Amino acid sequence: MGALVNYFAAIGRSFVTLGDGLAVTFSYMFRKPITIQYPDRTKLPVTSMLPARSRGILEMDAGLCTGCTMCAKQCPIDCIHIEVKKDEETKQRMLTSVIIDAAKCMFCGLCVEACPSGAIRHSHEFEGAMYDVQRLMLSFVDQPRPVAKPPKKDAEVVTAPLGSFVRKMLYPADRQGPPRTGGGSP
Amino acid sequence: MEFIYNYLSGLELGPWATSILFAMAVLVVAAAVFLVALTIAGFLVVVERRVAGRVQSRIGPNRVGPFGVLQWLADGLKLFMKEDLVPAQADGPMFRLAPYLVMVGVFAAFASVPFGMLLIASDLNVGILYILAITSVATVGILMSGWASNNKWSLLGGIRSTAQIVSYEVPAALSILSVVMLAGSLQMSGTASSPGIISSQGGWPWDWYAFYNPFTLVAFAIYFTSAVAEGNRTPFDLPEAESELVAGFNTEYSGMRFAGFFLAEFANVYLMSAIATTLFFGGWQIPAVSLAAQAASFWLRLVGLAIFVAKAAVLCFVVVWIRWTFPRLRVDQLMSLCYRYLVPIAFACLAGNAVYLLVIPAGSTVDNVIHWITTGSFGLLVLVFLWRVRFHIKRSGDRLDFDLLARGEKGSFDPAIQARPYGKFRRRHGKESA
Amino acid sequence: MSEPTQTGAQREELVLNMGPHHPSTHGVLRFVVHTDGEIMRKAVPEVGYLHRGLEKLAESQTYAGYMPFTDRINYLEAMFTEQAYAMAVEALLATEIPPRAEFLRVIACELNRIANHHITLGCITMDLGAYTPFVYLLRERESINDLIEALCGNRITHNYLRIGGVAYDVDNIWLGQLESYLDHFEPIINEFEALIVGNEILIKRMQDIAVISRRDAVAWGLTGPNLRASGQDWDVRRDIPYGAYPQFEFDVPVGPLGRGQAGDCYQRFLVRVEEMRQSCRILRQCLAKLPEGDIKAKVPKMIKAPKGESYASVEGARGEMGCYLVSDGGKNPYRVKWRTGSFSAMSIIEHTSPGLMIADLVALVATLDVIAPECDR
Repeated sequence: MGALVNYFAAIGRSFVTLGDGLAVTFSYMFRKPITIQYPDRTKLPVTSMLPARSRGILEMDAGLCTGCTMCAKQCPIDCIHIEVKKDEETKQRMLTSVIIDAAKCMFCGLCVEACPSGAIRHSHEFEGAMYDVQRLMLSFVDQPRPVAKPPKKDAEVVTAPLGSFVRKMLYPADRQGPPRTGGGSP
Repeated sequence: MEFIYNYLSGLELGPWATSILFAMAVLVVAAAVFLVALTIAGFLVVVERRVAGRVQSRIGPNRVGPFGVLQWLADGLKLFMKEDLVPAQADGPMFRLAPYLVMVGVFAAFASVPFGMLLIASDLNVGILYILAITSVATVGILMSGWASNNKWSLLGGIRSTAQIVSYEVPAALSILSVVMLAGSLQMSGTASSPGIISSQGGWPWDWYAFYNPFTLVAFAIYFTSAVAEGNRTPFDLPEAESELVAGFNTEYSGMRFAGFFLAEFANVYLMSAIATTLFFGGWQIPAVSLAAQAASFWLRLVGLAIFVAKAAVLCFVVVWIRWTFPRLRVDQLMSLCYRYLVPIAFACLAGNAVYLLVIPAGSTVDNVIHWITTGSFGLLVLVFLWRVRFHIKRSGDRLDFDLLARGEKGSFDPAIQARPYGKFRRRHGKESA
Repeated sequence: MSEPTQTGAQREELVLNMGPHHPSTHGVLRFVVHTDGEIMRKAVPEVGYLHRGLEKLAESQTYAGYMPFTDRINYLEAMFTEQAYAMAVEALLATEIPPRAEFLRVIACELNRIANHHITLGCITMDLGAYTPFVYLLRERESINDLIEALCGNRITHNYLRIGGVAYDVDNIWLGQLESYLDHFEPIINEFEALIVGNEILIKRMQDIAVISRRDAVAWGLTGPNLRASGQDWDVRRDIPYGAYPQFEFDVPVGPLGRGQAGDCYQRFLVRVEEMRQSCRILRQCLAKLPEGDIKAKVPKMIKAPKGESYASVEGARGEMGCYLVSDGGKNPYRVKWRTGSFSAMSIIEHTSPGLMIADLVALVATLDVIAPECDR
């Protein structure tokens, strides 16, 4: 007798629990989907939808760099290569080369923390897919330039908008990015 | 097809000419049925993906064609252009033959699906028996593909599938038998002169066989479960369980051969819904329209076609909905469900129906009252279900696009956006509702 | 291996390879399964496909520079590995962590626990065939990812903790968003229960399957939810208190919960659902009691830990996450050894597998919550 009761109780339980599950999934037919149709049907450009601390591809404002190379020393995987040479005539320290290997970078942010002047920073760009990995060696210094002085504590630092340096390298004329909404990047 | 044959005989062209013309007509009709079934299968793929998307709070494919309806063409084209791989150690002829067997098993059954009154390729007087028999051919194809792939996982999938399909034929046939008993005929569509399954039902819900008496309601549930099991759909999709067997018996297939299996599965979904509509839900019958009136008017027959397709579409939706809700049964649980639950209960329904037919005369007041009671209780069940759906929406909120970083017009970190209420159903703040 | 049967026919064992490429092994794990039809004789696990040498890499990194690597040991519960490492180094340095930093660490860790359980519970149901609960939980996890991205900048490999505290502070807006998320999420747990936890098919797939007794669980070194589901009441947060946990009130779910016997797959599933609720509870207490102050103690720029060794363990989402650190006084660690919950769970699979069906092996691996990166490091 107990077995018969169990038999029908199992059938009853199945109906109730399966029906409740069906009710949950059916209820989702009436709720708005959460999909953001990136990249062409977003309300704002994607890079401005990211939070302020978001860690994208690194970029450096060479005008602010003091040549201390703390970022290169802190980087756990040595993806930042900075060359500082002393100019013979003026005895001025010159920044000759800043190359960041974006293919190696693991976006940990230790270099940004170490920088005293805020020259190196994470942009909000993340679309760095290239056909040739050499194109991801981003070089931020064309001609040797004198290093900047370290800023005083709490001084206001004037720099270009976030991402303006790295965008030139990520989206040159011959690389077409995906269709996108509004501004933000070409 | 009888219509065409009678017409050709009437022309009196002589035996040879009649036969050749008839053969050509058969080929044309077969091609038409195949194309219709193929289109339905393709369209069903899109419907499944969109329903799956909405159930999972995302959008399904919506780029190819308006609302994504041409996605199946894109998929078909992609599969067509893929490399045709036959594994080196596989059994060549069997490997190549298997998809065709599966496709024949499914698409040949469409010859007897009553899309509308007089809109059926061949209204055999053993219609439903023919359909049951021809769909079993697919089993051989699945077993062949499992064996010929030279892959232990495919073999497991093929064997499981064979066991499953063969076992679930039994409760399916038993529940169909209840309906056949009531209708007194195996013919699917039927006309005034030769009554069939649909023509024995009526247009209103209480005239349908599903709500004839509680036994047939249970028989419908059993038929539906068995049909889903025969179609290898979740919760019975162990033969092609993605998380265990990669893709089961069709692991090694690519390109058009895989497309064959894929389309056959979706055509099978429509087939099982169409058969359930025919047997249990009144087919192309229109409420308050008699058979004679429908036979006379072409437009009414078109309305009947639309009704049939709509009912089958609702059942297809239920099949897809079930797939995306439930986990799958293990193989021994599947078998135990069939032989320990479905078969005894199907027998009980058959016996109950037989007793009902003996005791209660058809068309009497008692009969009608029982029809209405069954329809009413099913309607009550649907209402309880909808109430539960509303409960779930109220509890979790309908604005599930919970956008923490306020990806709206104003950008990030706007407290004003965070303060917006959750749609019409306000959730009780902080308290847990049981 | 063939064996003669009574009728004289030969019976052979089928050797199947549930290879590293498989939709249901969590990460690249491999099982060589010896079966007799559907019933398994044994399932031999093989690990090492995701070995990246993270322990050896520590010997060439500075103490502060190794922190991003700890994220990658288990990227689904990265805050726990970061905390274990930070605690190990801080034990050697004997630094005092500011109270606000401790609270922020707890917030980060409990959020990460919830996020990890989303993946675990979702993968369990997905392996058993129900694809929808996984998508719902991923949707909820997206909100946590957004919160953490606003907090520290990355969604998965956070690098949020530092030796001596945490890297970034929170503001009231973020705390408000966290509270909104908790208000939104707690009813979703109930909805998840209605959808799948009580589902009869799921119960049949998981109840009384692959029972691991309490004795076995303790003997084989299981920790975390696996151990608690087998009936052993042990939680590192409560029994070896660390950080700010002594200030919070929370329950530790121990099996058997609801139906079934302790140690089966269903209990391991239920324990994790209940743990999500308790994590929400802890987070609310954090929000109420968050103190002001510094977020990082003063540590030297180039950390040179004094000679010695330390072991720090935290209650990770998969079990006890322990970091054993040996220092020789230089600026790189001499040896870092990780004790992870998945490695012990992997070792018990061969012992539990005889007599299960292949479908049950999938349930067992999923509910033990074995993932490859933690197993192989």
